[in-house]
Amino acid sequence: MKPNLSINFLGIKLKNPILSASGTFGYGYELADLIPLKKLGAIVTKTITLEPRCGNDQPRIAEVASGMLNTIGLQNIGVKAFVKEPLEQLKKVGVPVIVSVAGTSVKEYVETIKILSVQDAISAVELNLSCPNLKKKIVCHDLPLVKDVIRSVKKVSRVPIIAKLSPLVTDIAELALCSQNAGADGITLANTYPAMSIDVKTFKYKLSTVKGGMSGPCIKPMAVCCVYDAYQKINIPIIGCGGIQTGEDALEFMLVGARVISIGSASLVSPKRLVEIIYEMENILKEKNIKDVKEVVGMLNTVKTVC
Amino acid sequence: MHILRRFDKTCKIISNKEICAGYFELKVKISNISKQCVPGQFFMIGMQGVFLRRPLSIYDFKNGMLSFLYKVVGKGTDILSKMQSGELRFLGPLGNGYNLETYKDLNNTIVAGGTGIASVHFLATKLKKKGVLYYGARSKKDLLCLDKFKKMGWKIMVSTEDGSKGYKGYITDILEKKIESKDVLFTCGPTQMQKKVLQIAREKNIKAFASLEEKMACGVGNCQGCAVKIDGQIKMVCKDGPVFRLDQVGL
Repeated sequence: MKPNLSINFLGIKLKNPILSASGTFGYGYELADLIPLKKLGAIVTKTITLEPRCGNDQPRIAEVASGMLNTIGLQNIGVKAFVKEPLEQLKKVGVPVIVSVAGTSVKEYVETIKILSVQDAISAVELNLSCPNLKKKIVCHDLPLVKDVIRSVKKVSRVPIIAKLSPLVTDIAELALCSQNAGADGITLANTYPAMSIDVKTFKYKLSTVKGGMSGPCIKPMAVCCVYDAYQKINIPIIGCGGIQTGEDALEFMLVGARVISIGSASLVSPKRLVEIIYEMENILKEKNIKDVKEVVGMLNTVKTVC
Repeated sequence: MHILRRFDKTCKIISNKEICAGYFELKVKISNISKQCVPGQFFMIGMQGVFLRRPLSIYDFKNGMLSFLYKVVGKGTDILSKMQSGELRFLGPLGNGYNLETYKDLNNTIVAGGTGIASVHFLATKLKKKGVLYYGARSKKDLLCLDKFKKMGWKIMVSTEDGSKGYKGYITDILEKKIESKDVLFTCGPTQMQKKVLQIAREKNIKAFASLEEKMACGVGNCQGCAVKIDGQIKMVCKDGPVFRLDQVGL
């Protein structure tokens, strides 16, 4: 018998736990000719900001062992243009839409979410809290700001708020708990890791901004660890994310507590992976004689560990 | 804009030969779909051992066989060059190719630098009128497929940086002297060369199309790695290009 892959996430009924990850799947509808979008659990859009952003200078991409670095700089058309065109296209796909939002200040987050909040095609908002704030510090490194952003957007949003956290903090579980206490409905763990690389042929940095975000299979064990730690402290659902390439990888995250999964870099390399992962996951569950994917969520992560 | 059917599938290597020191020609058979390939378009090619796929523009297409010309420059192309058989992942055809129609009454001029010769070679096979090829490389051993252009009936102007063949210096030095306003120009090559071509085309008011190159992760517009400024706006080389009208390019 086919295992049941459908899962309830923040009151949204998903066909399966596989989502696209923000920043790796465009506005969500552009690859309709390459993959059957309808098969996805949900689509997470690239990050939207209040005003359009043209992004960073070249080079923006560098490859590293088992992964990549990027410094795109949140290039996007701005929330007003987003609700006019891409959102209309996304509505036609018929899959729940989660919009990723970033800002440099509390006000920017709030204003953007006010505009999104009146759109009925949006199921949830994911806050990108890894972008730099006005003082060029990433939001997640400024705990009072994290709380302030979440509290403030909760007041204006009529959809669930998911906080996407940066993994590079002293205590990820503490940050997750703090987000939960501020009112977040869910958490995404993790985002890219700050990283850099140098071209020794030219003696130049490989990215225009020197540092960028690292993603791909090289970060997976660290991201799994983040989910494991956070799951022990919080009771809101987690989107597991970081270097997932196969159904097996996805289940690793779920076994330690992720309720759903988002796929980023793997789908950049091969868009079809997004759908193939669903089948791979289904097959593993079948082999293990597990009837419902919900059973595996946190299955291994039941004993509180010290430190 | 050509919205052509793209595919993501595994293809068998037919051959992968070193045509001269450090340069390889990869041939694969792709059924049905490759009839739709347009000069200037490219494929993202995936190989074991590196995370990202590599973008390679189409060098030739005939008898259902796609060819790619590449130089070994790093780990990815090194791995690729060692594959004599087996399968590779192909995503494509991607991007928008050269405009063959708008200026078909003008004289065709191609300006190529280095491995930029690959995409303009495919272009030359599709242009109805023969023209002049301006081709610059580091040295004689880096000049590729001159015989093919000769066979097609193209006039060839060559330059090398070390003077081992043709004019010693940059190809744009010759271009500047010879180009005329009744020419339409197609160019592919290093950014420095394209900048100079752009300047010449602007000064002489010549219609021109340039194929650009930037680092990219996905080839389909999702990673936004390959952003360039076109007519004051941010565009993606992979999806909005790689070929743009040269007068719109902000190099």
